[in-house]
Amino acid sequence: MHHHIALHELILAIVIVLILVLLLIITVLGYSFYSYRILHNKHSWKEIIEFKIMETIVGNDDRSDSDKGFAEHLREPSFRALFLDVLVDSDRKFSGAAKQSINRLFRDFELEDEAWRKLRHRSGYLVAGGVQELAAMNVEAAIPEIMEKLNDPRTAVYQEAQYALVSFKGYEGLGFLDHFNKPLSDWQQLRLLYSIHDIPEQADLQVKDWIHSKNDSVVIFTLRLIRKFRLMTLYTLVFSLLEHPSINVRVQAVRTLQAIESSETIQQFIQGFDLQPLAVQNEMLKAMKMIKSKESEHFLKELLWNHSPVSIKISAAEVLVVLGEEHYLREISQGGDTYDELRQIIKHALQEKKC
Amino acid sequence: MLILIAEDDELVLRTVEHKLVKEGHEVVLTRNGREAIEKINELDLDLVVTDIMMPFASGIEILSAIKRVGKAIPVIVLSSMGQEEVVVDAFDLGASDFMVKPFSPNELILRIKRIKNK
Repeated sequence: MHHHIALHELILAIVIVLILVLLLIITVLGYSFYSYRILHNKHSWKEIIEFKIMETIVGNDDRSDSDKGFAEHLREPSFRALFLDVLVDSDRKFSGAAKQSINRLFRDFELEDEAWRKLRHRSGYLVAGGVQELAAMNVEAAIPEIMEKLNDPRTAVYQEAQYALVSFKGYEGLGFLDHFNKPLSDWQQLRLLYSIHDIPEQADLQVKDWIHSKNDSVVIFTLRLIRKFRLMTLYTLVFSLLEHPSINVRVQAVRTLQAIESSETIQQFIQGFDLQPLAVQNEMLKAMKMIKSKESEHFLKELLWNHSPVSIKISAAEVLVVLGEEHYLREISQGGDTYDELRQIIKHALQEKKC
Repeated sequence: MLILIAEDDELVLRTVEHKLVKEGHEVVLTRNGREAIEKINELDLDLVVTDIMMPFASGIEILSAIKRVGKAIPVIVLSSMGQEEVVVDAFDLGASDFMVKPFSPNELILRIKRIKNK
């Protein structure tokens, strides 16, 4: 059975399509305008919020008018959310009295409830935000719930929980390292390290456990901790890590040995030098450059003449320059029996010094 | 003192500005390294407070620029955590002091006073 499309049906179809296209255009334009308004609002709101924070930090004496205007804005939920975000961000920029002023803002504008809501949300991003905010507000009542987040499978959540616990408890907050089996990123290590301002006297025992951790990133973090707090009593333990299967751990161990150096460090580096891979050898030479001990002079001169890789010879020459052996280096670079490559290496080391 | 602040974070910039003005200093604000270098060449500054990481030119490039023009301007460097090696470079280039963010604006004022009294 054939059905012929009549002209009026065709016109009707075209009109319907045109109406749909028009509706689509209106929707897209409406959405773009809405997004633009949000963006514009966010930009101007951010300025208002930052001004408020700045005013609180520097202590403006005449704030009653601006407080009223600010309270008006706070009725808008998106403004409150942005205020909370900017406050948390600002909390990471300032310390001392300025940080206390920021914490006062959290309390004055009763932002705690919002942070609790986020902490109990399903989305990982919001949970991490809630943890961050409660830590920034120093809400100690949140500690038990934040501790539960340490076992959350989502990276953003457990990382924020680790950081929050260290912010709350300092060194004690590092207890999670006892059983932590995921990689602790470099960034996270630094964040944690900078949040610990002191370490208890009896910390050695726990630090010893972490240094034996099967998680290399925990070992590396512990080495950084030893460096930061100059835990000299752990020197022998750190030295034993020069036999660790991970090259990265060995490199960090060399840096730590240099930081907590003893009268034997240089000799130990010299004796163990040939047993180490190139990356560790280079680190040992960097350490010798920092220690600047004449004890290493003879060894470094030998490195220049033996069959060491070029990078080792360059580093050795640079340490000799630091030790004040420029005259010796100039002499051998002009000597007739010096091969061309060594001449270039010495030239490079002497030029580095000039720079 | 005429102090130049080079900082791309608006809140830090404004906070430091207000603190310094309250202390009776004159302040020049720049939001990127290139602008800061221009001001260093143009003005007779007493002190520079600069962030390490900035658009167009870093704090290190600002220190190099000061060294290049031969001006003896004390510089306080603001760095973030994890930038220790850059801070060492900054000291090699003549930085007078450094502060790690998060930092206390009050402490910055004290350090400026110390530099002024030297």
